[in-house]
Amino acid sequence: MNRSIFFVLISAFIVFSCAKEKSEKTTGDIQIQSLTATFLTVKAWDTTLITMDATGSNLKYAWEANHGDFKGSGKTVKYAAGECCVGLNTITCRVFNDTGEASDTIMIRVKTHYGH
Amino acid sequence: MTRITILLFCFHFALGNRSFAQCCASGNPFISDAEQPALQSRVLTAAFTYRYSHSEQFYHNDSPCNDLIFSQTANVNYAELQLAYGVTKWLTVMGDLGYFFNKTLHTEGQDPMRGYGLGDAALYLKFNLYSNAKARFTISPSIGMKFPIGVFDQEVDYVKLPISVQPSSGSFKYFANVFISKGIAEKMALAGFVSYEYAQLIESENFYYKYGQQWIGAIYFNYKIIKSLSLDLQIRNEYRANATRENNEMVESSGYNVTYFTPQLTYAFKYNWYLSAFGDIPVYKYYNGIQMSLGYAVSLRLTKKIDFITIRARHQANKTSN
Repeated sequence: MNRSIFFVLISAFIVFSCAKEKSEKTTGDIQIQSLTATFLTVKAWDTTLITMDATGSNLKYAWEANHGDFKGSGKTVKYAAGECCVGLNTITCRVFNDTGEASDTIMIRVKTHYGH
Repeated sequence: MTRITILLFCFHFALGNRSFAQCCASGNPFISDAEQPALQSRVLTAAFTYRYSHSEQFYHNDSPCNDLIFSQTANVNYAELQLAYGVTKWLTVMGDLGYFFNKTLHTEGQDPMRGYGLGDAALYLKFNLYSNAKARFTISPSIGMKFPIGVFDQEVDYVKLPISVQPSSGSFKYFANVFISKGIAEKMALAGFVSYEYAQLIESENFYYKYGQQWIGAIYFNYKIIKSLSLDLQIRNEYRANATRENNEMVESSGYNVTYFTPQLTYAFKYNWYLSAFGDIPVYKYYNGIQMSLGYAVSLRLTKKIDFITIRARHQANKTSN
């Protein structure tokens, strides 16, 4: 009995899985014009303004960065990243409404604040 | 008099020698109370821990970094529920679940960023490899795994929060450790603890990050002040290697080597209830690059122990006497 419990627990440690689902969504009436930044290269903790220009009805904007963080929300956000995030970072903006969604990415290079 | 001196020493150390260590990382913090050996068979412990931590000082290698053009503080209110059960005399199964009431980063002149919610869950197997009651000597190795079941994609107004304030670690973590304890006098014991943790790669559509491996080594001194009150003094070193990001690029401002002093008082109440209070005070720290460092952490832990064999024996004795 005890041995069975032990083997079940060991199995729970070893056997696990995670499935990823990817759904295809239409862009509806959304058209992305541009995704731009005031600076494509910034020093750590300096900021750059990133703006999404898109057309469509009742648009909402979702922002995500692989490293760094944002201030604000909506079509224009301020992006900054600390020394933890030095490198070429990807910022993704997803525009969506009731008809569908579209997204675009922009790369921002973050250099060390102390420059070497 | 000796007892008062020890308490005053701890109090002075806790308040007077404050320095700063690691700030925020995704996932549950390491709860640093005195480790315990494997439980006896048919013994259950349930523990609820509350932890508050505060950070504000940036460090460059082993020195405070004061020339930044802004100021930031961070605070975390965290709770953890832990259950442990002695399945046999040689195997204890443990599980814990963390919850963040808040994990907040305040930057001067900006709205704070606040993550909250379920953190990681963990499952451990602790073995009673060697136990000699006469010599009061035990060796208890453990293996375990952390499951990123909590919140990792929290956003505010459709803007995703940075990884540092996300409650879950976003990846599976595996760890192994060993706890060794030896009674050295009637009221005193010494213990040692070594732990290794390996974090899996965090990989999603927009995220690629791998925390460095972590080593923790600790030495505990336990002293029973009176029958129901004990004191633990712990010196602990935590080392984390650099993280890596896309293209296996090393993140220079990641990883650290921090030594903590952790005093702990535990009071044993009636009916196997225990209350512990402890604090993490970094006494040495080295951060790779520039990183925000944790200032201090204070914790309270309430534990209930249930010994089913004793309960059963008592029940049977009562039956017999009736």
